[in-house]
Amino acid sequence: MVYLLGVVAISTRCSRRVSVAASFISVAAFDFFCVPPYLTFRVTDYDYLITFAGVLAVALVLSTQTALIRMQAIDALDREARTKALYNLSHRLAGESSIFDAARLAAETAGELFRAGVTVFLPDRGEISFRRRTSDYLPVPRAEESVAQWVFENGRRAGRTTNTNPSATAIYLPLQGAKAVVGVMAVVPHSGERFSPEQSSFLDAFANQTALALERTQAQNTAEANRLSRQTEEMRSSLLSTVSHDLRTPLASITGAASTLRSQEDKLSVETRHELLDSISEEAERLGRLVRNLLDMTSLQSGFELRRELCPLEEIVGAALQRIEPQLKDRVVTTSLPDDLPPVSVDDVLFGQVIANVLENSLKYTPAGTSIEIVAEAAGDTVTLEIRDRGPGLPEGDEHRIFEKFYRGKSEKVRGAGLGLAICRAIVEAHRGTIEAFNRTGGGAVFRIRLPLEDAR
Amino acid sequence: MKPVILMIEDDPQIRRFLRATLAAEGYVAHEALTAKDGIAQAEAGRPDLILLDLGLPDFDGLEVIRRVRQSSQAPIVILSARGQEKDKVGALDLGADDYVAKPFAVGELLARIRAALRRATALPHDGGLVFRFGRVEVDLENRIVKADGEEIHLTPNEYKLLQVFIRYPGKVLTQRQLLNEVWGPNNTDQAQYLRVYIAQLRRKLEHDSTRPKHLQTEPGVGYRLVVEG
Repeated sequence: MVYLLGVVAISTRCSRRVSVAASFISVAAFDFFCVPPYLTFRVTDYDYLITFAGVLAVALVLSTQTALIRMQAIDALDREARTKALYNLSHRLAGESSIFDAARLAAETAGELFRAGVTVFLPDRGEISFRRRTSDYLPVPRAEESVAQWVFENGRRAGRTTNTNPSATAIYLPLQGAKAVVGVMAVVPHSGERFSPEQSSFLDAFANQTALALERTQAQNTAEANRLSRQTEEMRSSLLSTVSHDLRTPLASITGAASTLRSQEDKLSVETRHELLDSISEEAERLGRLVRNLLDMTSLQSGFELRRELCPLEEIVGAALQRIEPQLKDRVVTTSLPDDLPPVSVDDVLFGQVIANVLENSLKYTPAGTSIEIVAEAAGDTVTLEIRDRGPGLPEGDEHRIFEKFYRGKSEKVRGAGLGLAICRAIVEAHRGTIEAFNRTGGGAVFRIRLPLEDAR
Repeated sequence: MKPVILMIEDDPQIRRFLRATLAAEGYVAHEALTAKDGIAQAEAGRPDLILLDLGLPDFDGLEVIRRVRQSSQAPIVILSARGQEKDKVGALDLGADDYVAKPFAVGELLARIRAALRRATALPHDGGLVFRFGRVEVDLENRIVKADGEEIHLTPNEYKLLQVFIRYPGKVLTQRQLLNEVWGPNNTDQAQYLRVYIAQLRRKLEHDSTRPKHLQTEPGVGYRLVVEG
């Protein structure tokens, strides 16, 4: 019995051949040690031969069955691992927004799973040229381009281990999506061995998942592109009507005042003449601000470079205040910047513009006589700058919308194209900072800008 | 003798109001419509000051400055389009004295012209002078600086920096020029040190260092000591 137990134990861990050998060895050992004459293989009583045969039979059956169970368990684990791998692949590919990145991810994952060199070829102008590929170098001879193209057109496997071009270096699999073939996957097993049938069907499943994911990404990208182009169209027509109005109004004032001065000069009192001249000046300034904002927005949109330097915030705030001097007039602006505030790594011209724009905005929307505070503080690895006012505050629920292009406040008295804050956001975010606005207790709004403190190069 | 100002400007409307305002201020205005003509007139006419538009169609503004400087040391005030900080800095480093950015009100331009002419004709400050701006009084001979009558202690570099501003009152000085004058030609890329020193000077000399009345920033370009106010 002890020997049978030993055989079972061995067969749970070792292959079938070893288990069979163990069965024979255990019977032989039984004979040698337990059957008289002891320590020989001879038997004195031939009845023992039947016992040997019986024990051997049992041992063989037990070992074979146990080995079978073991193989099934391993198979089940393998299947589970494959299913998990497919699920993971699907999950990760869903997060990719670029078709190329998704294809590359799939190729790398496949390479690890199948211990092979895997390259995905994507179509270039409707054909598989080896130019659009996920690996840096070309892993197969260029002559096999036609094989890959055939696979792309026919949606069937080709290359090694198949009936089509069996002498090729790699196995070429079609990435068959729901609607069409979206690419070709070339697989070159590292050790040169063939794939087992299970691995082969796993590879097919893998290719299928990849194809579906690529198709899905493509559909998402197309939908996104359509949405953007619709949005751009809407913005363009909104811009046109806004700009048209905002340019014509000051121009009308200037033309009107100038022509009055010219054609009715002697009928006007000195005060009136001065007033009209003031009008021309002020409206020209307003026009200047609008043009500046439009130009800034345009140049920011076509990409811009930050010229970053470590600057004390105090200097930038001071320069911004200097710049909007004419709009400050008799408004009270207080600043509270600690002496030990660390310098921030910013483009001083652009960031100064941000502060100036926020201040201009606050000045426009708050009544004369109310104060504006500029406060800064550093905490941890962030510097926070706040511009606080005591005006009517921001529309509830729309606090984040004020940073959108062309968004304008509900007040009819205030003019402007609604670009100033959008420009601020673009610049602040380019500095990897954040800008937000909210209402404060006691009335009024707070604009909060956060900048990460980082070492300059 | 009325100062002669040469304007090198291609736009007729800008020339129109410049002509009017310069004449009203008592200057004799000459005009050149192209860079080539401007360079020739600068050499032949020996103007006291040159107004140069950086956006001339026939020549790069910086090249004009180079050429003019070959034959004339007259102060050059440039008219620049907004946003061209690099061009302004380049022009200033090449020898232009100051700038105004279009669109500008003539008050600012006339102030720059006045200051530039004054600097060109003034004798260099000798040691015995006292220089004043706002609440600050600088005794250059004894190196004593007072604000509102009280003595202020400046470190040697802070004083050197202040001296540079005093040497060129009202003139915009680029970062490079300031660094060169105080720390020498091998340190012209240490802009952050310059900012620190400027901040220190402001804290010591200005009433409110966040709203400096005198040591003003010209973003992207440099700094300027404004004497009035």
